[in-house]
Amino acid sequence: MKELLTPRKLVVRTASAGIVLIAAMFVCLLIGTESISLKAVFHGGGELSAVNPDYEIFVKVRLPRIILAAIVGAALACSGVVFQALLRNPLADPYILGISSGAGLGAIIAVLSGFNWTLWGRSPIAIFAFAGALGTVWLVWFIGRLTGKFHVTGLLLAGVVVNAFFSAVIMFLTSVAKSQQVHATIFWLMGNMTEEDFFVLWIGGGCVLAGILALFNISPQLNVISFGEDDAKSIGVNTARIQIIAFGIAAFITAIAVSLSGLIGFVGLVVPHAVRLVFGPDHRQLFPLSGIVGAIFLVVADTLARIIVAPAQLPVGVVTAIVGGPFFLVLLVRHSKKVGWLK
Amino acid sequence: MSGIIEVENLSFSYAPLSTVLKNISFEVMSGTFLAVAGPNGAGKSTLLNLLCGMLVPKSGTIRIDAVAIESYKTDDLAKKVAVVRQESVPVFGFSVIEMVLMARTPHFGQLGFESKADREIANEALEATDTAQFALRPLGSLSSGERQRVFIARALAQNTAILLLDEPTSFLDLKHQVGIYDLLKATQLEKGKTIVAVTHDINLAAQYADEVLLLGADSSYNIGKIEDILFPEQIEKVFGIRTFAGSVGQEKFFLPLGKLAKDSRQINSKPNSSQQK
Repeated sequence: MKELLTPRKLVVRTASAGIVLIAAMFVCLLIGTESISLKAVFHGGGELSAVNPDYEIFVKVRLPRIILAAIVGAALACSGVVFQALLRNPLADPYILGISSGAGLGAIIAVLSGFNWTLWGRSPIAIFAFAGALGTVWLVWFIGRLTGKFHVTGLLLAGVVVNAFFSAVIMFLTSVAKSQQVHATIFWLMGNMTEEDFFVLWIGGGCVLAGILALFNISPQLNVISFGEDDAKSIGVNTARIQIIAFGIAAFITAIAVSLSGLIGFVGLVVPHAVRLVFGPDHRQLFPLSGIVGAIFLVVADTLARIIVAPAQLPVGVVTAIVGGPFFLVLLVRHSKKVGWLK
Repeated sequence: MSGIIEVENLSFSYAPLSTVLKNISFEVMSGTFLAVAGPNGAGKSTLLNLLCGMLVPKSGTIRIDAVAIESYKTDDLAKKVAVVRQESVPVFGFSVIEMVLMARTPHFGQLGFESKADREIANEALEATDTAQFALRPLGSLSSGERQRVFIARALAQNTAILLLDEPTSFLDLKHQVGIYDLLKATQLEKGKTIVAVTHDINLAAQYADEVLLLGADSSYNIGKIEDILFPEQIEKVFGIRTFAGSVGQEKFFLPLGKLAKDSRQINSKPNSSQQK
């Protein structure tokens, strides 16, 4: 039994979660194959002649990667919230409408074409994946529209079919590619964090944050839409407008996340569920808390990916699935009595 | 004085050659309880969806409060007309009070939170529907009858003059059916709401509604006071089934006469007769 959400509670919970996130990021910064002395880090970068290795690792290697993990985690978690609400399906995740296969197709085309230019510091893989993701979402949305105004079943089926088709094309391209290219593609498909420029992080982080704030802004309407389109309309929600805004933002931040780090599964499915199970289904709370919890989850998962088989590294997507799965099951069993749709 | 709902020459069809509603005109006075009855496929729910702006008429006009329905914005119409559909279990585990508060969404402030006034309205709606005792329980944990009351509470919290209901009692047992109609009658009498309820149960309609709109499968329709519209010959014409009409005090009731029903032969010997008890 839960009391009503108040603005005060929301602020307190969001701030507490934010503090946990910062603490987690800080701890993860200190963990790694090289042990780092904080004291040395605070000495700063130093002159060219005397490179401070602790500072270099801390600021130029680990910090950007951890910030990247936080951005991607937040984007995927919030996008998962949107798709679960719009499709009224707790099993939905950011990839359900084919974003993953579209991005994957873009990535493999970039690998095969052997381009080696960069755009704003981004490799062709990232650019093509971004374009492929958005293009696929548009395609699925367009096909979904043909089946009716906002027909959940039509949209889902379109997503499934487009997903299957693009996956087949990906497999075809993989089978004709050279083994080195295949390796690069598969590594990307498994989801992988690398050290990014601060410039890229600023842009990506800014877009994701703006997207999440915009989603928060329409969260009361999404609450109503989760009861169905007709219900929402008769309560006075302009469903067509809200759906297209939510859908567009979710697709956009997912495409950013995918182009930054490849296909990282489980975050967008598990995090919204976990937050919903503990704090309730209100979207005004789901967006800020899922964003922060998603960031924490991916920061920790990526740190594990760095250290489990050190000095080698695991793809972070493997860790999210292995850690996320059992964690989610525990939550599910402990809290399921409170949740209606599980009965 | 004109009615709060005015329907003029309304026609609607889902496909070009299958007209569901044809040239229907009627008006509903403010504070009236109108029951809409008729066989499956006669267009009862279609009419309801037209009245709440979910469907757009093929021809004809609908005016709510003397303003054409298509000139309302979604949120403005929601301040005039509330709709109760058949209850359903929502996908996510919202609590009763959370759901009822959603009715106030168009009134929320900048931050997306309800005001104190919104909470009072929601609490009143819970009291009126006798659902306040499970305000904090998740909707999924209630029985169908309780959940239907909560859906009505949400509609009441919209604070509209008009309440539309689509078969609000189809899946409920006798006690809950009567409970829902008592509740509707009370809101009509105490708050002066205009109620339009689609129903399959002509007996409940006869007991509670002031007027009835009888839609036929052949696009015919009759509207008027209960006693002028509901009588055995009319019912046989519209529903294609013979009924036994009786009355208890002021209340008329109709008993359908199926061919193989146990006592149908006995009653059939003097069909359509009235009995005083």
